[in-house]
Amino acid sequence: MINFEEELKRFQPIPEVNQAEEAIYNNDLKDISDIVMVVTAEMKSSVAGAANPITGRIG
Amino acid sequence: MSSNKPVVCPICGAQIKKSGYCSACYMHMDIIKKAYNTSDYYYNIGYDKAVARDLSGAIESLNMSLRYNKKNIMTRNLLGLIYYEMGEIVMALSHWVMSVNYKSTNNLATKYLKELRSNPTTLADVDQIAIKYNMALNYAKRDDIDLAIIQLKSVLSNNGHFVKGYLLLALLYINFGNYEKARVTLRRVLKIDKANPLAIHYLHEMGNTDTDIIQMRDDESVEDDGLLDEEYIEENTIRRSTSLMDEDPTEKKSNPIKDFYEKCKNTLLKKKVIGDIGFAKYSGVYVLVGMVLGALILGFVLLPAQRKSLRTENEKIIKTYSEEIAAKETTITNLDAEVSDLHRQIARLEADNSDDVNPLPDYSYITNGMTDEDIQNMIINE
Repeated sequence: MINFEEELKRFQPIPEVNQAEEAIYNNDLKDISDIVMVVTAEMKSSVAGAANPITGRIG
Repeated sequence: MSSNKPVVCPICGAQIKKSGYCSACYMHMDIIKKAYNTSDYYYNIGYDKAVARDLSGAIESLNMSLRYNKKNIMTRNLLGLIYYEMGEIVMALSHWVMSVNYKSTNNLATKYLKELRSNPTTLADVDQIAIKYNMALNYAKRDDIDLAIIQLKSVLSNNGHFVKGYLLLALLYINFGNYEKARVTLRRVLKIDKANPLAIHYLHEMGNTDTDIIQMRDDESVEDDGLLDEEYIEENTIRRSTSLMDEDPTEKKSNPIKDFYEKCKNTLLKKKVIGDIGFAKYSGVYVLVGMVLGALILGFVLLPAQRKSLRTENEKIIKTYSEEIAAKETTITNLDAEVSDLHRQIARLEADNSDDVNPLPDYSYITNGMTDEDIQNMIINE
């Protein structure tokens, strides 16, 4: 049986024209290459931190 | 013949090393190629679904395609087109803008954006549709279902492809228990988006089988289904009032709009009942009798009293002016007597003067024939 209140929660307001900019920013999602780059950067920083936690330099 | 042109990273634009890694972002080219291939694969699935008018499924696949390559221009453009078809113009705009941002030349999105911008009324209509839909959603959340339906009807008459509007309208009809209208509404959704999961879910909940849904989807036209006609308000109100009569009165919520509809409906029903006295039709007579009584009271009670007071006041004013006139007449008589007395004195004095006349000698004959110069010389000699 359909629960009206619960079903109504599925419906969200749609963006108006003056909110288009916000919609564009929200559409700028991360793809797989972004994720790989973030992971690589984190790995690099963790390696550098492990080498010298004060200066952040390796060796 | 091999080219000497260096391979450039499609992500950051830096040169790719011989090992296959980017010199700047350290991304391996194989990973990038694999990601782009997968993105194209999902784009193809999305395209096929869009061709088959499974727009919801297409959106899902195209979003997956963007997960692998957010700069996939074809995916962005198709996604924008699907949102446009489903009446979500702002979402379509945002995807096309992103597409043009990634590739400004030789891009179909440029044409779409140009067409949209060339007609400012379209954008104004889009804005109105979004505002009205959001308003309808607010009404629905506040349990003002009638107003929500009115707003949604207005939205859908402006944009007959607005899937979200149809879905919300169907939900409101289901809430009213008007399953037939809900089915008609959902049929319109299925005409635009053949496998809309929410529409299918609602139809299943209303007891429709998959065969019914397929048949409903393949029906010829939805234009003459009467969904956007005006009779729905009365229909809903009567339905609602009967359902309210069945409810426990202690549970009935107070709502001014619903009360107004209740009153309207009751009035309509009273008029339809044969033999019932319609007191409303005598309202004109009541007004007329009231006016006559008012006129009589005015003529016999209020006006004579007012007239009497006016008369007294007038008499006072006349008396005052009469006294003033009498005083002035007395003054005038006195002044007349004074004037006649003075005239008499003047006459007497003139008579006295005429008795002892002693005129001065006339020297005019001396100066006759003399010029001014002669007279002056004569004075000097003297």
